[in-house]
Amino acid sequence: MSTSVSEPQAAQAIRIADVCKSYGDYQVLKNINAEVARGEVVVICGPSGSGKSTLIRTVNRLEEINSGGISFEGQNIHAAMRSSELNKLRSRIGFVFQSFNLFPHLSVVENVSMSPIRVKGVSPATAHEKALKLLDRVGLADKANSYPGQLSGGQQQRVAIARALAMEPPVMLFDEPTSALDPEMVGEVLSVMKSLAAEGMTMLCVTHEMGFARDVADRIWFIDAGEILETAPPEEFFKNPRHPRAQRFLADLRH
Amino acid sequence: MIHDFIAIIQDYWLLLLIGQYPNGPLGGLANTLILSALAIAFAFPVSILMALARLSKWWFLRWPMTALVYVTRGVPLLMLILWCYFVIPLWTGADVPSFLIMLVTLVIYQGAFLSEVVRAGIVSLGQGQMDAARALGHGYMGAMRFVILPQALYNMIPSMISTFVSTIKDTTLGYVINVPDLTFAASQVNNQLLTQPFQVFLILAVVYYILCWSLTYVANSVERRIARRRAGPRNPRLPAEAAPLKTITEQL
Repeated sequence: MSTSVSEPQAAQAIRIADVCKSYGDYQVLKNINAEVARGEVVVICGPSGSGKSTLIRTVNRLEEINSGGISFEGQNIHAAMRSSELNKLRSRIGFVFQSFNLFPHLSVVENVSMSPIRVKGVSPATAHEKALKLLDRVGLADKANSYPGQLSGGQQQRVAIARALAMEPPVMLFDEPTSALDPEMVGEVLSVMKSLAAEGMTMLCVTHEMGFARDVADRIWFIDAGEILETAPPEEFFKNPRHPRAQRFLADLRH
Repeated sequence: MIHDFIAIIQDYWLLLLIGQYPNGPLGGLANTLILSALAIAFAFPVSILMALARLSKWWFLRWPMTALVYVTRGVPLLMLILWCYFVIPLWTGADVPSFLIMLVTLVIYQGAFLSEVVRAGIVSLGQGQMDAARALGHGYMGAMRFVILPQALYNMIPSMISTFVSTIKDTTLGYVINVPDLTFAASQVNNQLLTQPFQVFLILAVVYYILCWSLTYVANSVERRIARRRAGPRNPRLPAEAAPLKTITEQL
């Protein structure tokens, strides 16, 4: 974990404290407490409907919470603040969606360069150049002038990762990035994520790809019915899950 | 028969084109074109603002605009025109020209209809696009401007054209408050000839048809050009996707 001593801010990139969230009577998140250290890769896994996606969407406040707080680099992102402040915080948290959500009216390179230009005020020429570099990094330099509708799902998701990286976020959140993909395209997206992890990016990923979790994650959070039941390094989690619900989840996966 | 048409056009083309101008106010086709163009040019941005107000999280924007849209949609345009024509001078004491009254009424009326089209376009995009824009740090208005509206407005081109076309057609109602437009001029011609209403009003119909058809044609080609650019030359789905849009506009 690459925490430098001179860093004045908190050692944790993300700290989730006592977070509760309900939709009406239904409590989705129950008193969640967890941390992601700088440079750490955390995989959130658990059965569907357990609150994984809701949890990750609260981290950049795409979902509001009912109580608790989530601090990102020492700042509570759920505190009362001006919307311009929230936008600034959000621009420093990369988010990759299950359904890509590329902007279909913009070309691939415009998808990647638009937000640096419009949000950060980067000059169009610089943003364009940077976008081409990022597209090269995700292996799609030749698609720069295509439109999202012309790309496969795997290619679209790689563009979405490049788009998030263009804002130079210190943290990346992934909400089931491979769940909407055909099986043969899962690998290309995971390998981009692996290389990001290898470069020391702080990552919080909701995923069902247990192979990825085993190989790349520093820690796994197992979540069910809105509670984090177990956090453990992957080798420990996959060999000796402590919580009975986690044992059953892993047993079901092996069938 | 054909001879009648040619004779009418030969005798009255200037009246039909510009009305009494320069001896009186500008009228005829020129005025119809100006009124239509201004009405569309103002109704369009007004409709976007109205749609944003209706989608706003603030009740003091949402409620009055919703009420305005409901009232406007539920009231005949002719009644609205007469109401403005008689009530505005009563309230303000000012002598407002009928052209201006017609323009303002058209902008409000068509703006309300158009705002429902714009709102439908925005809502139909779904939450994902807004989420993606917000996650990248765009503010609400930035997301609207750069992400949501370009898509929503493009998707709604067929419905917007149909509202624009009906705006052109609705300018004829200015006749009842003496806006000297093409219909007004044709009616003057008819009053002078007395015996040829069929010929006179057929000429009128043909001119309106050409006007509305040209607008539809231009908008369709713009739409096709955007679609072609986005789909790229290799995409074989394009013709099938473009087809339903065309059938909607052809019903006009």
